[in-house]
Amino acid sequence: MTITKATLDAFIDDHLNEQDSIRVEKAVRESQELHTLLESIIASREMGDHSIGAIWRREHLSCPTREELSSYKEEALDPQRIDYIKFHLETIGCNACKANLSDLSSTKGSLNNADANEKHRQFLENSKILLPKKQ
Amino acid sequence: MPSSEEQLLVKKIQEGDQLAWSDLVLRYEGRLTNYAQGKIKDHASCQDLVQESFLGFLANINNFDSSRSIQSYLFGILSNKITDLLRSYGRLRTVETPVDSSGNQKSSPYIDPAMGASTWYRGDEKKKLENDALIKGLGLLINQFVQRKDYLKLKSIELLFVKGLSNLEAANILGIDNKTVASHRHYANNFIIEHLKKLNLSPDVFPQFSQQDQD
Repeated sequence: MTITKATLDAFIDDHLNEQDSIRVEKAVRESQELHTLLESIIASREMGDHSIGAIWRREHLSCPTREELSSYKEEALDPQRIDYIKFHLETIGCNACKANLSDLSSTKGSLNNADANEKHRQFLENSKILLPKKQ
Repeated sequence: MPSSEEQLLVKKIQEGDQLAWSDLVLRYEGRLTNYAQGKIKDHASCQDLVQESFLGFLANINNFDSSRSIQSYLFGILSNKITDLLRSYGRLRTVETPVDSSGNQKSSPYIDPAMGASTWYRGDEKKKLENDALIKGLGLLINQFVQRKDYLKLKSIELLFVKGLSNLEAANILGIDNKTVASHRHYANNFIIEHLKKLNLSPDVFPQFSQQDQD
C-alpha cells in the first residue's frame, strides 16, 4: 500500500479498514516525512481547505440510503446495485453504512439491556432542557 | 440532500418540540451506537459518546444548515468524539511526534510547501461557496454514474478519491488496466472542473485536480 496524501486524508477521516489504519499509523510514527505531511493536512483542513476525498466521506456522497441497505439485506435490488453496495461496504469499507446495516440486522436494537434502556430514558428526559423554548 | 421529512423534524426541534427530539434520537441512536461499537468495544463508553453527539447537535440546532443530511452531521460529530477518546488512549488519527528506534523524539519542523497563498486570504464565505459547489458537483457526478449504471467508473473514482489509492492500486483491485483507471480519473476531474467553471469558481483552489496524470 502506497501512502499518499489522499491515503492520509482517508486515515484522518477514519475511512481505512483496521489493518490499513494500523499500517498507516505505524508508518506515520516512524517517518518524519509522513508525520510532517499529516500535520500539514490537518493544519490545512483547520484553515478550511478542501479535499475531494474528505468532502466525499464527510457528506457520505455515494452511500446508499438506509432503505436501499434494507433492500440490499433482502437482496431485493438490481444485481448491479447489489454488487456496487457490496463493494462500497467491503472494499471501500464505509463504516457509516456498516453501522446502518448492522443496526438494521439487529433484532434487539442497540438498547439491549435494562440499564441501557434506563440510561436512554434519562438522557431523553434530561436533554429536553436544552430544547429551544417554544414560541 | 436531506428528505423533506428530515427537514421538518429539524424545524420542529428548532421550535422546541419534545416529541420530534425523541423521534430524532430514536431514529439515529441505533446506527450511531453501532458505528461507535465498531471502534470502541466498551458499550457504556459508546453510549456516552452517542449521547454527547446528540447533545452537540441539540446545542447547535438553531445554526443547523437544513441543506445538510442529519445522519452525516451526527456521524461527523460522533467521529470527532471517537477521535478525541482514542487520542486520550494515545492512538489513532492523532499527530504525535515520531520517535526513533531508541525512543527519542524526532524533531518536527513544520513546513508545508503545498499550502498555497490562496489558503491564507480566502474568506470563510468563499470557502463555503467552494465547498458547497464541490459537494454539488460530486453529487451530480455520482448520480450520473448511478443513473447510467456505470458502476465501474464509480468504483474506480471512489477508490481514487475516497480510499486515496493510486491508479495502479485501483486498477489491480478492479481487475482492469491502469490506463482505464486514468481515463476515469480524467473524466471525473474534468466533470468537476467544468461544474466549478460554470459557477465562476476557480478549480485552482483544489490541488487534487492537478493529479490527473499521476501513475
